[in-house]
Amino acid sequence: MAVIRDVMPAFQLYQPSSVADAQKLLGQNGSDALVLAGGLDSMDWLKDRIKKPKVVVDLSGVSELKGIRETPDGVEIGAMTTLTEISTSPVIRQKYSLLSQAAEVVASPQIRNQGTIGGNVSQDTRCWYYRAGWPCYRAGGNICYADTPVGRNREHAILHSERCVAVNPSDTAPAFIALDAKFVVMTPKGQRVIDAEDYFIGPDIDITRMNILQPGSLLTAIRIPSTWAQAQFYFEKVRDRNVWDFPLMNVASAMKSSGDNIQDVRIAVNAVAARPLRLKMVEDSVRGKPRNAATGEAAGKLAVQGAVPLQFNAYKVPLMRNLVKRAIGGVQEAAWAS
Amino acid sequence: MSNSEWKPNQQKFGAKYKLIGKDYPTPDLYAKVTGKAKYAEDFRVDGMLFCKLLLSPVAHGRVKHLDVSKATAMPGVKAILTQDDLPAPADSVTDLGVTIKANPLGEKALTMEPLYHGEPVLAVAAVDEYTAAEAIEAIDIEFEPLPFAVDPLDTLRPGGPNPRLQGNVWVRPSMPQAKPGEKPPSPPVPHVGELKWTEADFAETKHGRLPLGKAQDEWVVGDLDAGFKEAALVLDETFVTPDTSHETLEPRTTLAYWQNGKVFVHMGTQSTVQTLASLGRWLNMDQNQIVLVSEYTGGGFGSKATGYIFAIIPALLSKKANAPVMMRISREEEHFIGRARPGFQGRMKVGFAKNGRITALDMFVICNNGPYDAVGDANTSGTIVSLLYQPLAMRWRGTTVLTNTPPRGAQSSPGGMQGIVIMETIVSKAARQLGLDQVDIRRINCPEGKAPVGPVRNGTRGHSTSAFLKEAFDRGSEQFRWKERTARPKRSGTKVRGVGVSSSCFVGGSIGYDGLFVIRPDGRIAIQSGVGNLGTESLHDVHRVVAEVLGVPWEKCDVTWGNTSKNLPWTCVSGGSQTTHAMTRAAHAAAIDGKQKLQEIAAKVLGGKPEQYEVGNERVFRKGGGRGMTLPQAAQHAIQLGGKYDGHEPPEDVNKFTKASIAALQGQGLLAAAKDKYPRDGQTFSYVACFAEVEVDVETGKYDITDYLAVADVGTVLHPKSLSGQILGRSILGIGHAIGQKWVFDPHYGHTISLRFHHTKPPTILDVPVNMQWAALDIPDPETPVGARGIGEPPVGGGCGAILNALSDALGDEIFRRAPVNLDTILTSLEAGRPTQDPLTAHI
Amino acid sequence: MGILEWATSPLGQRVPIHIAWFLIWVALIAGLVFLIVHAIYVCYFAKDKGFASDLPSEIGQQLPARIPRHSLMARLFHWIMAGAMFVLLFTAFLPKVGVQFNWVTYHWIAGTVLTISILFHIVHATFYLDFWSIWPDRSDIEDARKRLQRFMGKSTALPRKFAKYPLENKLYHGVVMLSGLAVIITGVFMMFRVRTVFFPRNPYLFSDMTWGMMYVLHGLAGVGLITLTIVHVYFAIRPEKLPITASMIVGSMSREFYLKEHDPQRWVIEGLPHHGSAADGD
Repeated sequence: MAVIRDVMPAFQLYQPSSVADAQKLLGQNGSDALVLAGGLDSMDWLKDRIKKPKVVVDLSGVSELKGIRETPDGVEIGAMTTLTEISTSPVIRQKYSLLSQAAEVVASPQIRNQGTIGGNVSQDTRCWYYRAGWPCYRAGGNICYADTPVGRNREHAILHSERCVAVNPSDTAPAFIALDAKFVVMTPKGQRVIDAEDYFIGPDIDITRMNILQPGSLLTAIRIPSTWAQAQFYFEKVRDRNVWDFPLMNVASAMKSSGDNIQDVRIAVNAVAARPLRLKMVEDSVRGKPRNAATGEAAGKLAVQGAVPLQFNAYKVPLMRNLVKRAIGGVQEAAWAS
Repeated sequence: MSNSEWKPNQQKFGAKYKLIGKDYPTPDLYAKVTGKAKYAEDFRVDGMLFCKLLLSPVAHGRVKHLDVSKATAMPGVKAILTQDDLPAPADSVTDLGVTIKANPLGEKALTMEPLYHGEPVLAVAAVDEYTAAEAIEAIDIEFEPLPFAVDPLDTLRPGGPNPRLQGNVWVRPSMPQAKPGEKPPSPPVPHVGELKWTEADFAETKHGRLPLGKAQDEWVVGDLDAGFKEAALVLDETFVTPDTSHETLEPRTTLAYWQNGKVFVHMGTQSTVQTLASLGRWLNMDQNQIVLVSEYTGGGFGSKATGYIFAIIPALLSKKANAPVMMRISREEEHFIGRARPGFQGRMKVGFAKNGRITALDMFVICNNGPYDAVGDANTSGTIVSLLYQPLAMRWRGTTVLTNTPPRGAQSSPGGMQGIVIMETIVSKAARQLGLDQVDIRRINCPEGKAPVGPVRNGTRGHSTSAFLKEAFDRGSEQFRWKERTARPKRSGTKVRGVGVSSSCFVGGSIGYDGLFVIRPDGRIAIQSGVGNLGTESLHDVHRVVAEVLGVPWEKCDVTWGNTSKNLPWTCVSGGSQTTHAMTRAAHAAAIDGKQKLQEIAAKVLGGKPEQYEVGNERVFRKGGGRGMTLPQAAQHAIQLGGKYDGHEPPEDVNKFTKASIAALQGQGLLAAAKDKYPRDGQTFSYVACFAEVEVDVETGKYDITDYLAVADVGTVLHPKSLSGQILGRSILGIGHAIGQKWVFDPHYGHTISLRFHHTKPPTILDVPVNMQWAALDIPDPETPVGARGIGEPPVGGGCGAILNALSDALGDEIFRRAPVNLDTILTSLEAGRPTQDPLTAHI
Repeated sequence: MGILEWATSPLGQRVPIHIAWFLIWVALIAGLVFLIVHAIYVCYFAKDKGFASDLPSEIGQQLPARIPRHSLMARLFHWIMAGAMFVLLFTAFLPKVGVQFNWVTYHWIAGTVLTISILFHIVHATFYLDFWSIWPDRSDIEDARKRLQRFMGKSTALPRKFAKYPLENKLYHGVVMLSGLAVIITGVFMMFRVRTVFFPRNPYLFSDMTWGMMYVLHGLAGVGLITLTIVHVYFAIRPEKLPITASMIVGSMSREFYLKEHDPQRWVIEGLPHHGSAADGD
């Protein structure tokens, strides 16, 4: 039968107005259902006719999933809050500017107006082979087209590649990991609260999913504890174009210092592996050390240990080294006299 | 340099004119900014069906099994169109009466032997797109994969795969000589043959150099060996330029329907009049039976010069289904069928004298053509380079290789851009090695005045009409503060900055077309325009000449455009930056004709001789005061006089197409029509000097363009705002080639894998400086009455070249060997201390 | 529901990608059904084994109390292979039924161990062991016919005792060998599809269709091994077979069991007098 990558196939559209209704619908339909948040990931799959769900559950009418609430312990962000709301939120900008910085550089203004935080952290990989509908491991097949002797893999993984070399493209995910955020997931068995880094899974564990969400589950909110409020933050996204581009890599760190020394730090990078990586070894190695260029250098070198570049992504190794270096040791800013 | 020191263009143009050189709102502006403008997709017709395409999954193959029964049985499916339903390709006849035979190997709208991944195989018309898509999925189709090549070097290798069953290059049999007194014979139909290089040729690849195998075409001027002998420095460099889709925002969406035996086609095309002939040829129909509606076109950049062959799909489906058919083209489909600039794999050996003068230039290029009709990029690259750098001796060798990649088409500065970019990086390197200033080395090689261009043909070498590029460099150096910038420190923190400059030029106009307008009894000037509305504003700009010459306020002029049933004159292709030059000439000729007719009518009615009358202020009146009449009165008289005055007797020499329009317009007022017969000594080119500054972060490889200036030598400035749009817009197109735009193929399957904007990466507005600058010399070209030349194309090569040169100024020569240059290239090369890019492979 | 999973290749062709995973359950159930049916049969319907007794009684006296059966090398091989096989089966199929972990690395390492042990076994068995002892010979066929006739209730001559390995054992070995070779050969090629320490990853060694068939064969043989393993373990722990199982651990079996089940003429213990030809198939 011929393949056509155009025109959405038919499906039943449900637009619940409460989480309970949404959950019920997802429970009833299991793997036949697709969750639609901002639609920026889902619409591609639908229009390309690669995913043909019987049911689409559109969460845009669930108001309880929207908004940023201050809690005694920090803030809780509803999964359907848009990236624009996050990047412009006064409380986020004041206390957790790491996240507002990350949200502000996602894609383009139009996409940030429509894209949700739940969607941003839960989005599928952008590997162009997988997205073209090729039957790769991630699509349930038995091959990785990107990691072949001729595969075009400039944007692919350098770490934790287990058969699949796709990367997670989320800009906000590493910020959440650095902020020690908790993800609130409603499952058919009840609510689970998970550490940000445990929300994501690599191909070694499940090659067809990017996160722990099983059919019937729903990410409802993300909680940021006040632990790292107003810490020293560093976020940098490196991309080809200055707007409307996925990261070639990004780094997010939150740091507390006492005097010149690093008292505590959390750091994560994304687009180097199929899941955002928290760099625990780096964190442990720099704790108690002075925050300077030498510590940064050492941290950068440690971060890329074990990295295996592919044919076209060798740049990711020095890039990761340098980004971690900057996140830990700071940036040597240019100061032009003229 | 801060923005305050760096002001937008304050130039004033058109000192001796009322309209020329002045800004004005074009008549289509309101519709465009409010969304009232109707593009092809905006039309709806009663009973309209929608069609979808089945695209080839193989880079080269044959349909070995096709069963559409399940699709046709689906409710709502109205018709299926395959290759078998296409009319035989028709021959065409040139203006000179020469028959161009249809090539059976040329591109078809649908094919059972697809030659690239994504080529349309069949089309289904149904009541809606949903049904059409479902129907396509129900079609049982099997392809037999055949050998394919996506990289020209793969097919040129001994034993390499051929992209077509017949071979990998077009073979053009030699042209038979015309017998004196007879019309020239038809050129023989080109066929596809095989060109393979030897293993010995390919030994060069081991050193990262392009093999110099047998080239298809070549020419030499001057003594190459002597030139190299004289040279103080000889550089031999290999470079790859990217294949870039045109990415027009309006895809090739088309609506077609039949009424009373005529087919009506709504589509976006660059050229209104010239597209009719193409449609006639593709449909094998008389042009009189075709009506083309194309009032607004969402971008062309060369890809829609005379429309596109896929427009006949809805036309033929409409006939088959007996209902109007709308073919909406998706972005992905547009990627396949929407044309692209061919990438070059090029190698140049250039000899420089101590002062930077180019003594010898040995140019060798491979043009990646795609599977169908040959583009002219390879040839043009040689011509343009020969003009722009004026080498004392030059050899050009070029080979246009067929590959199983989407078909290429002309894209702004086709060939010129690729040749210039390859050359520019070498000139920059030479200046560094010779210790010369980058502006100086370009100035010393600049074309000037009637500068020689291209090869010797029939014993003579062509030359340009004029060239003031040196003046552009002088103005640009000053405005950009070139000396000041080059003297500043380069490094601070993790940032390194660099400045670059680039020369550029491209063809700037053709001649010989018709102007046509009617001065109506109500006092309005009805200007008929066959120019396409492709967004350049030349559609209206050129007709300002009529108002200028007649002394009529522009507000009194009504331009009719975009519909071939509305009596338009014979007009140039709106491509190759021809329009401004060609159609200001035609408008001028028609205006002069109108003026003469006004004078004659005044003399006839009021007495005296025509030359005693003057035209101005919407009147024709006796010089030095006295009797006269208004234009409405003159129009009345013209109708009464009849004959040539109201179009009953058309001018002998205008095109038959114009004559038909005149016949339809006759008797409506004073009809002015004329062919452009102004003399021209030389070929028309426009020039630009481009300057850029970049700032590179050596820790990430990311760079930003901080400043940009383009100074254009385009003759008389016609419309500053539209000129600014052209200079800066096309500069951005060129910048895109430098900073990221490209195609990527999976070589194992021969598939395009860069299907989305975020894969092909056209530049965004945030990738260019906020404060991009432009200036124009406003020196009239001496070989055309208004003095205006076209400018669509030159900034592309200049924009790309300036960025690449700024990068090598910042980082040195050992960073890149191909464009675009992304941060990955910069970072890996800095890390390795040598260029790490593959300088030979296409599409990576 | 087909037994194969298909996908559309980038070239639009339908290619198999692997077996349908429900076959795991089919194999598991088939193994268990066999086990239950066999257990019921043995428990309620089986007749006593009868053997033709043509053994000179004095031979028994000359035998040691423990009859050596498996050399240390052979036992080591068996258990390494068994261990690898279990790792392979669990790493292959647990993730498919929802137990998720990083299985590929363990799988290819175990596969490598299995491959090397099998290669060793082939060399060892060919040159250092009685190569033919595991292959059915003519008397096995004759005896099998006799046992079948007796099972059907016909009166026929008693079958002879077994050589070193009973026929079922030999047949089992044959089937395991075929499945094992199938998974090993396909598995070795499949290692080109993933990153190992052995060769650069090259998933384009074969056409999409050939690869598809290879995955299918690997899968079919793999699920077959589930059934075979269940059957094997089942027999290993059956009370009447325990002496054989034990011999795979300690290397020897008791003289009584040897004399009861085996024919010293067909399974000659070295260092003992030889009585007639060992086997016709020699």
